[in-house]
Amino acid sequence: MTYIPYPPKEGKDLLGTLNEFAYAEYGSFLEVLAVAKKVESPRRKFGFIKHALEEYRHSSLFFNIISNQAKRGIGKFKREYRYFPQNVIIKGYVDKEGFLVEKLSLKNLIEFVYANELMVKETFDRLKKINSILRDEESINILNSMMEDELDHHGQAKRFYEIKFPHSKLQIALKKERFKRNFRLINFHNIKLLNKIFDPIINFLIICFGKIVNLISIPDSNNENLMALNPKSVI
Amino acid sequence: MFYLGISAYFHDSSVALSDAEGNLVDFKKEEWLSRIKGDKTFPRLALQELINSFNLSEENIQSITFYEKPVRSWISVLKHSIKNNPLSNDLTRNYFKNVWNSSMRFQMDLSKYIKIKKISLLYSDHHLSHTLSNLYYYNNFPFVSVVVDGYGDKYCTSIHHVKSDKEIINLWNSEYPNSLGLFYSAITDFLGFSINEGEYKVMGLASFGQPKFYENLKKTIKFEDNKLITDTKYYDYVRRIDRSFSDLLTDLFEIEPRLPDVSLKIGEKKFQVYADIAASAQKVLEELLFSIFQHAYNLTKERKFLFSGGVAMNSAAVRKCSKLKFIDQLNIPPSPGDSGAAIGASYFGFLNERKNKFNNFVSKNNIKNNLFPGKYKPKDNFLEFGFDKIADTDTSLNETSKLIAKNEIIATCYGNIETGPRALGHRSLICNAHNSELIKKLNSEIKKRSLFRPTAPTILKEYAEKYFYLENSLMNCYMHMAATVTPKAGVLENIRGVVHIDNTSRIQICNETQLLGKILSILKKFDIYLIANTSFNISSDPMVYDEIDAVAALHIMKIKYLLTENGLFKKKFEIRV
Repeated sequence: MTYIPYPPKEGKDLLGTLNEFAYAEYGSFLEVLAVAKKVESPRRKFGFIKHALEEYRHSSLFFNIISNQAKRGIGKFKREYRYFPQNVIIKGYVDKEGFLVEKLSLKNLIEFVYANELMVKETFDRLKKINSILRDEESINILNSMMEDELDHHGQAKRFYEIKFPHSKLQIALKKERFKRNFRLINFHNIKLLNKIFDPIINFLIICFGKIVNLISIPDSNNENLMALNPKSVI
Repeated sequence: MFYLGISAYFHDSSVALSDAEGNLVDFKKEEWLSRIKGDKTFPRLALQELINSFNLSEENIQSITFYEKPVRSWISVLKHSIKNNPLSNDLTRNYFKNVWNSSMRFQMDLSKYIKIKKISLLYSDHHLSHTLSNLYYYNNFPFVSVVVDGYGDKYCTSIHHVKSDKEIINLWNSEYPNSLGLFYSAITDFLGFSINEGEYKVMGLASFGQPKFYENLKKTIKFEDNKLITDTKYYDYVRRIDRSFSDLLTDLFEIEPRLPDVSLKIGEKKFQVYADIAASAQKVLEELLFSIFQHAYNLTKERKFLFSGGVAMNSAAVRKCSKLKFIDQLNIPPSPGDSGAAIGASYFGFLNERKNKFNNFVSKNNIKNNLFPGKYKPKDNFLEFGFDKIADTDTSLNETSKLIAKNEIIATCYGNIETGPRALGHRSLICNAHNSELIKKLNSEIKKRSLFRPTAPTILKEYAEKYFYLENSLMNCYMHMAATVTPKAGVLENIRGVVHIDNTSRIQICNETQLLGKILSILKKFDIYLIANTSFNISSDPMVYDEIDAVAALHIMKIKYLLTENGLFKKKFEIRV
């Protein structure tokens, strides 16, 4: 239940993609756990705990697949694949301004779950087809099992939505989420281009501000009573 | 009136709250609530929880103190980078790009969650916040305070002469990039562990090695003419954002940096080389600390030391420092790193207000050594989450003790959580420390930790002296596992599971009023005098905070029993994880 990573191009950077999926699933674990903490009904709380544990399992399994693939010599295990929990924020799978349950209404949240669980399943399908090198049985079984879970979550969201909001149309929500995802995809694929545009601007700022920064003298507090320094000063 | 202290944007963020008397009434780390280990974003969830619990508003908050001076912090590294690196270096560009993710945005973030028009906004000095976090617990002045961390608004190491809590003189500093903390982090990075997370793994690994690279490594960082000097050509943290060590450091070790997926199996050749590197770094760290402590003594002639900053979490080094002949007392706060600096910041706000109000300023003298501040309690709804209650509050400790005697592992989610990084009983996994096979299972199968990492014991004071050689100067540290000890020869085989390969244990001494003390009192009749105690979390996750986290963690770790203030619970079924 979080934003979906982008499927890799044919055979390229398989481990990098799997790494993205592992964080995306970890992000989902955190999002669903946050929902479990927010809902009032104990029955629903427990339901969301179970859902969260499935997302946790998926995340762990992706890390296992990465390890399996690396052991089989498929792709190099890069330093940036080292597990770093804060990557869920840095990579954008959890928003530092708040979990989805804090930002979205119940209706929008269910729409999000419905649409994204389905799209995750589709992405897993694509991942299996595109990466012909993902051949070992264990990894394929793990992916199949996760796809079943995602479809199950998608179905649960659909059932709940139809009871709670019988007059709304889920297909519109799905189109909306697909549109958002495609927009993110364009942004993602053009990130290098954006950097090429913005880096000269940043360099220009460094030249300008760098000179100013060098003129700023940072006060020294040697032999001073620190309790007597100006507590309002930010420098 | 209340005094808020906030630490954020660099290491694990947190919020501390003091009352009108300067007592610490609550402390929360953001990672407990966001469930993201080491979460350094603005502590919005922690702050919101305090606002709700104490009805905080601009009417009852006297001051909010940020733990460092944001502009100074941002500019210091930038100035160094601009001066010493070519224009297009990653570090400078990253600093510019991420200015709005840094502490420069503190006021903007804060104002989203609380009206601040009427509240006094203060900024403490980073290392002063560390010193004050120590003074919160220890105030029999005077002291000399040594602060050693990676980096904090300009300085990386400081020596303060604490004459009282209104007179703290800054006597000596080492400026960025000459940093003992960043040195150790670079080695952590080289050994394939995450910076700010894996340093304790390096410490554990060091015990398996010999300091074969010591002579080479000590050339890269030294204490000379009372100055700490880092040779930055060995360390890329001054110019890169993707790694902390340079190729020259790799050449020194004559082995490739370890990739994180390469397992460290005890006995393998590569394991031994990496352990030797860790041992060398540990020795360099310890010797530099000796020099800094010696310099602190020379400057002040004080024999009572306060030690804080991230490096103070190196419990092996703490023990060796305590043996320096000029140290009578070495105190470390329960949370010596940046998250604990929020406590110091909150205390700064309180002291600043007192200073402004009263001409005849009197030092505060009613500080409680409170390891579990705050009134938070997890909800008791475990029956609805697939648990059976197998003992009520009255009998739960007896039943827990019986289970421990039967070699079961018990999780605790009991009252409020401990302040610091070490589990002291309220969010712990506990078992019989005399059973080394059980501890091995706890460590590797349940917690998924590497086998080279030790498990700590908890013991009552009356038995601590029988089992271990204790240092008088460290008695306060033993309350919260801040230092290691050596077991006495005759008991070693009986407690092998909680003794590290170098024959040390990082003990927690507790009294009979604390949860684990009560359990240990009952366990005497089973001839169990020590409990193995590790934090209730799976490796790389934050400590369990509330009942939801507890249920999830029990399933992830496949643990059956949970002790809470309301009784002892047993899981009825397992969820596949």
